[in-house]
Amino acid sequence: MAAFPMISNFQYDFLLQLVAVDTENTMDEVAAAAAYHSVGRRVAPQPGKVVRVRRQGDTEFFPRHAKLGETGIKPMETVEFIFTEA
Amino acid sequence: MALLERNEWYDIARNTNWTPTHVTEAELFPDVMTGAKGVPVEKWEVYDEPYKTSYPEYVRIQREKDAGAYSVKAALERSRMFEDADPGWVSILKAHYGAIALGEYAAMSAEARMARFGRAPGMRNMATFGMLDENRHAQLQLYFPHEHCSKDRQFDWAHKAYHSNEWGAIAARHTFDDLFMARSATDIAVMLTFAFETGFTNMQFLGLAADAAEAGDFTFASLISSIQTDESRHAQIGGPALQVMIANGRKEEAQKLVDVGIARAWRLFSLLTGTSMDYATPLEHRKQSFKEFMLEWIVGQFERTLIDLGLDLPWYWNQMIAEFDYQHHAYQMGIWFWRPTLWWNPAAGMTPDCRDWLEEKYPGWNDSFGKVWDVIIDNLLAGRHELTLPETLPMICNMSQLPICAVPGNGWNVKDYPLDYQGRTYHFNSEIDRWVFQQDPARYRDHMSLVDRFLAGQIQPPNLMGALQYMNLAPGEIGDDAHKYAWAEAYRNNPYQKKAA
Repeated sequence: MAAFPMISNFQYDFLLQLVAVDTENTMDEVAAAAAYHSVGRRVAPQPGKVVRVRRQGDTEFFPRHAKLGETGIKPMETVEFIFTEA
Repeated sequence: MALLERNEWYDIARNTNWTPTHVTEAELFPDVMTGAKGVPVEKWEVYDEPYKTSYPEYVRIQREKDAGAYSVKAALERSRMFEDADPGWVSILKAHYGAIALGEYAAMSAEARMARFGRAPGMRNMATFGMLDENRHAQLQLYFPHEHCSKDRQFDWAHKAYHSNEWGAIAARHTFDDLFMARSATDIAVMLTFAFETGFTNMQFLGLAADAAEAGDFTFASLISSIQTDESRHAQIGGPALQVMIANGRKEEAQKLVDVGIARAWRLFSLLTGTSMDYATPLEHRKQSFKEFMLEWIVGQFERTLIDLGLDLPWYWNQMIAEFDYQHHAYQMGIWFWRPTLWWNPAAGMTPDCRDWLEEKYPGWNDSFGKVWDVIIDNLLAGRHELTLPETLPMICNMSQLPICAVPGNGWNVKDYPLDYQGRTYHFNSEIDRWVFQQDPARYRDHMSLVDRFLAGQIQPPNLMGALQYMNLAPGEIGDDAHKYAWAEAYRNNPYQKKAA
């Protein structure tokens, strides 16, 4: 376990934000941490959709249950959070 | 005894170059301070300042200007302007004073460097007056807000801002250190007077004086007009310096100084003037949108001047113009949402009429930025005030020191522009900001943004309260919505409907 700062680029939000997560977090947990600072504050909730995680510029998402420490994402890397169909 | 006309003696009197005998020329005028770029001194002697004045003339005119500004202030001191003004206008005043007043002292130091190390006698002459100008501007813009301190502590930030770690103050210091505190005389002539003053502040002060008169704030209007007439004179120091550089084969160096100068000035201008014009200025007083103002006054003027000088438009010109459509809207969202971190109370500028106006001036605004404001308005109406406040830091650009932000909503287009340099990853708001860094990485690499400082443990406790303490924001000073959220009530049971085109 290790605290892990990353940069959230959340779909439909207007800025990048600092988000604190942990290397043991799954991608779903990382997405929830990022959503906390965007969804319901400046981004309208999208019931029924799932927020998926990908590197900036990638089209492929990380598996939802992959642990952060296994993904190769570096601390303070900018990661995109995208609404997708469940 | 008959006095000679100025033009009969001026050229002789200003020729103050001499041949040093006790020290070498290089010791008297080191390149690092002059920035002469290898252009020999005799080539600089053709520098011809377009505006000529003598010391007695200068003093007489400045005395009249000071008398004018101070007498308007004295005459209106008992007016109820401050109490009756729209809170949005009061916020513009606070933001302006904090961001500008002490910056004028920095500009005074920069003018002093040109007065001492300028290679051209004419440049030294003009800069001597410029130095006196900037001193006057700092003192005026500290004295005028001081009368409001007893009524409103946020006005104390006219003096306090630059001495704090408030994020806007860090951004202003970083920009001004770069453009004119840590530059040679020639670089200052180009970056401060040509890029920043001719290009931006001179025009901004013209517009701001007109806005103040429109808002009924005649004290501020006369203050700003008084300053602007100085700016329009000493801003002309840079033009002839560029001519000398270009005539002596230094176009490439001149172009880079111009390009970096405009890029950096544009960010601050977008933050301060963009949000003031399109949001904080009450709707009924708006003459032009910020975009219209930029296209008419700034772009046109730069294009004419740069081409006349034989320079090219900066490589990023079209990108900068594209930013007129979104960058200041994003900054407005940032300053409003992170409002506890300001020394002024930001006006949302978000009534239904305001949104109609924004849609007219920026087609598509409601589908992008409007989507974000919709969520905020819902939260305000539902009493979920805590969701209209931040619980983390925005990512800060390692060049502008402002949040990395762009278009939200249906036009979502936000991106990081990272750069790995000597083992550290830097983050930038755009290709332009990253390019500025790449021009001189050693100059910028060691600076830590607010986020870098947070991650390094310099902000304790590591939360919003710790951040406010770090920014020196005391209770009674931190920002809140200028209109106490009254504007949101217009949407109760009446969601915003975009006006039919």
